[in-house]
Amino acid sequence: MAASKQPTEPNSSIPEYEFVNVNTKPFHIGSFRDEWLKRLQPRDVSFQPVDQDTFEASFAEEMGLGEETMAELRSVCSVDSLRCHAEDQQPDEVVPTNSTLKTVTQRKKKQENKTSEKSSKNRHELYANELDRLTVGRVPETEDDMIPEGEVILTINIYFPGNFEKFNYIRPHMTLLMTGSHTLAELRDAICCVSDLQVCGEFSSTPDMAPDFISKDLFKSAFFFFEGVFYNDMRYPECQDISSTTIKWTKSQNFPSFSQAKMEDTRFVDLKVKVGFPYLYCHQGDCEHLVIITDVRLVHKGDCLDRKLYPLLIHKNRVLTQKCAVCHVFISRWYTTRDQFAPSDPCLFCDKCFRMLHYDKEGNKLGEFLAYPYVDRGAFN
Amino acid sequence: MPYLPFFYTDFFYEPLTEDVEELLSRFQHTDSVRYGVFSAIWRDMKFSDVFIGISINSEMKRFCRVALATAVKYFLPPYSYQIRVGGLYLMFAFYHTQLASTPAKIRLALKDWVHVQRFLMESEEAQHHDVVYIYHKLVASKAIHYTTMPHFLIFQKQQKPKICAEFLSRTAALKELQSADILEEMAGIQSHYKKLKEATMEVSFKVNMTYPDFTSDINKCMSEFFTWQQNALPKEKNAGADGVEETPEEYCSSRAMLLSSIKQKSYSNVQKASKSRRHRGAEKVQDYSSSGREQFQNPSGRKYVSLRARTWETLGGNDGKSNAQAWLLSTPEQLDGVPLKKMNQAAPYREYKVMKEAE
Repeated sequence: MAASKQPTEPNSSIPEYEFVNVNTKPFHIGSFRDEWLKRLQPRDVSFQPVDQDTFEASFAEEMGLGEETMAELRSVCSVDSLRCHAEDQQPDEVVPTNSTLKTVTQRKKKQENKTSEKSSKNRHELYANELDRLTVGRVPETEDDMIPEGEVILTINIYFPGNFEKFNYIRPHMTLLMTGSHTLAELRDAICCVSDLQVCGEFSSTPDMAPDFISKDLFKSAFFFFEGVFYNDMRYPECQDISSTTIKWTKSQNFPSFSQAKMEDTRFVDLKVKVGFPYLYCHQGDCEHLVIITDVRLVHKGDCLDRKLYPLLIHKNRVLTQKCAVCHVFISRWYTTRDQFAPSDPCLFCDKCFRMLHYDKEGNKLGEFLAYPYVDRGAFN
Repeated sequence: MPYLPFFYTDFFYEPLTEDVEELLSRFQHTDSVRYGVFSAIWRDMKFSDVFIGISINSEMKRFCRVALATAVKYFLPPYSYQIRVGGLYLMFAFYHTQLASTPAKIRLALKDWVHVQRFLMESEEAQHHDVVYIYHKLVASKAIHYTTMPHFLIFQKQQKPKICAEFLSRTAALKELQSADILEEMAGIQSHYKKLKEATMEVSFKVNMTYPDFTSDINKCMSEFFTWQQNALPKEKNAGADGVEETPEEYCSSRAMLLSSIKQKSYSNVQKASKSRRHRGAEKVQDYSSSGREQFQNPSGRKYVSLRARTWETLGGNDGKSNAQAWLLSTPEQLDGVPLKKMNQAAPYREYKVMKEAE
């Protein structure tokens, strides 16, 4: 009806593609939320479900329709009109035969070709279903813990540090949901990386002292890098600004200037980021993870509404763990080299087998070996 | 850069897209926008069967997400009004017949909101009550997620989808230009300029900065275009029309088909990326079809056909396969030990072998 309004300048709060279907241009998350809320009615974002009669009454009123028209609409546009089979539906596992749909025939072909009897219920499925069951639509007990209507939810993928000798591709290690009012420090705390648990040092003479030296406690510095700003973790007195070396170096090269900010003071709604674009999380000095924000959207009644459960893990990639060389039951905790008792060099042991093999009843070290505490990659499974 | 096997990252699923296009073209042929008609076709095709037979929960969730994304694609421009109505009905149908344990939601991006609102306004004015009712019912059932972008973006280039030219709507750009009163303003400025020039007697005959009959010429061109559009292509089925005609291919879409056919030919020679090669990153555009490269460097999405492709097309030439052979035939023999770039696996090796045997 109206002629198209030529905008005077593009609204930078409305995200657009920088590269189509790859990533967007940078936009401010808080302004994005405000733009959506400007366009929507309160009832669209509320968590209260609308029952059929209220809906029809308000619709009839807005459109000026009579009861006859409404009755016709109600009967024609009902969900029943989509039912394709009689009440006795086919069971879900059997793909229907003689269908004209290509999707169905393709699926049938795949099913027929599947020769192995591999159970489709693997571990990942079980955990994922469990996560789903516990979190979707969950409502907290107290009002304070409830996420307010109109909040934004961000979906963030954290990736494994890239190991290109072994893998051709990078898989997201974990996918987290965060709300707009969470700080970056809370995201940092939710990221589990085994390098945080590493213990440095050789402990063959003092096997009981190992747990006192976890890297996470020793090296607390970390930063996020989003759109030219380094967000450092400065919560603890031991934290240093590890981004300053990089910034100093870029000043000497021909780079645009970068700035710094504090992780714990920055909330997600204050960030200006690109969706779909890889950013960086660095901790332990050199352990770097890619971080991609895959989606930002308004909160919905079907989401987990309990603030205490956020950052919410919705996907985790579980890795095969290395088991003890002796019992093949427990995950290995010790890594030995130049070990006269071990069948291979290096060799992995679980705690029990390690002590049984290398120490006598009083705890004295038997024989020559070097032992290091080992944290398996799948420690967070 | 992150690269996942395509099954996990695709935005659309080819067989499903074909089924949906079949459904929508049947809907298009009925020349109706009534929901009753749509649901009859849906029942006839037994479309809800697309969800049956997926036993793994995560695959079901992925499929439901893809199905809804496919429906939303047809709900938004550049498709014609009738196809967009079909897309809306399809969104409703998929949402209510999906079998995922936690229902997938319809993702509407902020940038598309203005198109949705315009669509609703047109429908309300044309008194298509069922269209508006279905939309509001979806909103009331909380079926919509208000998001940044239509898909989850993980910095991976997608395969280019084919656009069905028959579903596209007629270009309305010239109509909008006409109604925007820009031409009247231009005519006003023109006359103002003339008046000012007449005031300066000395200069007015020596210098002329404008084309005198600019606006009238533009008007003539536009009216020619409109008459051509009217004659060459019968009236498009839109919100207000009630005709019985079919929606035909238009000039723009036939050109689009030509471009896509050229691209198909060049794409057919390209090796599909095997799992061991990682050239789907955003910054590495190693597509061997020139049109693919140009496509990527043009983030606005407009397609340019290279000179070579155009020349081949006009000269009635065929695909790039013969190009590769010609290139290799001219390779001098002293390059015997040099590994040849594998543009096309079959042809170069054959040629190389022939050369070797000829020695």
